[in-house]
Amino acid sequence: MKFVTQDALRVWLDQLAQEVDLVAPRDVEGHVLYRPVASSAGVLFEYQRPEMSAKDYLFPATEVLLQIEQRGKEMTLEEIVPERKQVLFGLRPCDAHGAAVIDALFLQQEPVDAAYRRQRERTTMVGLACPRMWEGCFCTSVGGAPDAADHLDLLLREVDGGYAVQVVTEKGAALLAGLELQEKKGEPPPSQADGEIVPVAPPQAWRTLFEDEMWQRHGERCLSCRICTYVCPACRCFDVVDRVTSVQPGLTCSERIRVWDACTSTNYRRAAGGHNSRPTKPGRIRNRFFCKFCYYPEDFGPLGCVGCGRCIVSCPVDIDITEVMRGVAERSDG
Amino acid sequence: MNDIGQKIRETARQLLQEGQVDCVIGYEASPRGGVRPAFIYDAGEAERLVWSTRAVHNLATYLHDKKKPARRGEAPPRVAVVVKPCDSRTINVLLAEGQIERERTTVIGVTCDGMVDESGAPLPRCVHCAERTPVVYDVLIGSPPDVDVAADDDADLAHVEALPPTERLAFWLHEFDRCIRCYACRQVCPGCYCTTCMFERDDGLWVDAGVEMPGKYIFHLGRALHLAGRCVGCDECERVCPMGLPLRLLNRRLAREVETLYGYRAGREETLAPLLFELGEEGSPI
Repeated sequence: MKFVTQDALRVWLDQLAQEVDLVAPRDVEGHVLYRPVASSAGVLFEYQRPEMSAKDYLFPATEVLLQIEQRGKEMTLEEIVPERKQVLFGLRPCDAHGAAVIDALFLQQEPVDAAYRRQRERTTMVGLACPRMWEGCFCTSVGGAPDAADHLDLLLREVDGGYAVQVVTEKGAALLAGLELQEKKGEPPPSQADGEIVPVAPPQAWRTLFEDEMWQRHGERCLSCRICTYVCPACRCFDVVDRVTSVQPGLTCSERIRVWDACTSTNYRRAAGGHNSRPTKPGRIRNRFFCKFCYYPEDFGPLGCVGCGRCIVSCPVDIDITEVMRGVAERSDG
Repeated sequence: MNDIGQKIRETARQLLQEGQVDCVIGYEASPRGGVRPAFIYDAGEAERLVWSTRAVHNLATYLHDKKKPARRGEAPPRVAVVVKPCDSRTINVLLAEGQIERERTTVIGVTCDGMVDESGAPLPRCVHCAERTPVVYDVLIGSPPDVDVAADDDADLAHVEALPPTERLAFWLHEFDRCIRCYACRQVCPGCYCTTCMFERDDGLWVDAGVEMPGKYIFHLGRALHLAGRCVGCDECERVCPMGLPLRLLNRRLAREVETLYGYRAGREETLAPLLFELGEEGSPI
């Protein structure tokens, strides 16, 4: 196996931070979050599951798409194109899996989403395997694993004295210059894949339960906040709005921004004229789960859930996606 | 504790059996430990209700979902709700603001020893809570506990207030920077019930949709001001915040201001009108 000591890894990260936009897990006031870093100082190497996924760096919560200048009747549009390379370090495998889910919609069907493609192309994803599964994790039930290399460019696993390095893609290999690798005998031990096993009912089973009473039961507790969709590595709904940034005599500057949206929020389906076609909480909760296990796999291929468990641990009223999955599997059996 | 659970179940069963209410909002055991809100429509389901020191949620916020009839032309449902003393102040605020009807609301008040978080540590508001019996109820369950109340010294608030203005601004900007604008604080708040939140208008008149500064702090400061004289200090906003913003600090600061200036504490009495109405009354004591 290829092996790197922690010291050598730090040297490499310090170098990367000079050359690219480097993002890594950090402790932010007691919260583990992926954050831009200027060096290896403050980068966490031992952590559980960052509280937010890394999707903010591929599909930003707020992304300026266009800058618009209006002079009288003349208008100029400038597309905003990020130029620097980006390295996401210390990704958990579920975060890379989430990016693959989003790819299915934004990249693998026409029309390709240009802004997302640019973010994806400039980014190299360096994973750090979870040594075991955490509270609420069920990645092994939905095609993932705590040490899955799929969808990453490089995967690191903690071993005695440092990390085993697995090169997954050419993009990953290209990043290795400057990393002092050694050859060591043996292979790293697999992670403990001892998390919950949750049944995944097929889309047709979900369809038979569209009118089930369980949506009322789970939905009634829902607060219609956006936590579950914002912490999710695979949720990808967005809104596009324009905002004026400055007004001077004869010159108005505006931006077109894309911002995250959430199907759980009250006004998600409100249309021009004010009609809301999904006005109740049970209806919205049902849609969120149907999107993940019925609509998205039918329309785009992959499941819309990577089993990271973030929505479970962060829901203020204990709406538990695994409870819903079990409920569907049980009810659809009969 | 188990006694209280038993009495809640008995009360709920009786209210539903006798047709006094259509729904009881209480707590049920959560599959991963702790408790979560539960909605009981059938006396046979009352068995699900429990009581626990983890009953942190302010269930009065769900009364907003019950203001409209289930079907057009029907009357709105009659609802019973389980409240702790802090939650009970919400009932008074919602009555004062004309949001709920007293005769359609059955208040199941529970005396409170204080709630704990996942690790078993007492919640900050409970440590300082001097109100152990609900201020409004139709049914009272439990007896006021004999607990030592820590003096409400507001040391954390005093610390922030003592900072020089530039440092205080830096403190708040640093805290608000983590906000992801998930709106959980607003959604859980029983006092936040505007049909269209001014911070989420499609036209972005006041704050645009970007998850950025200054929108993030304008949202939080605006929300805090809208709740001045209305916030009952249930701290649900701080509990639900996934980024751990210290929203309690803001709310307590404003509540103290209102109490100092006007001697007014939101929800203290059933007959209390909203602060602005009280101020407008001729001969008003405040």
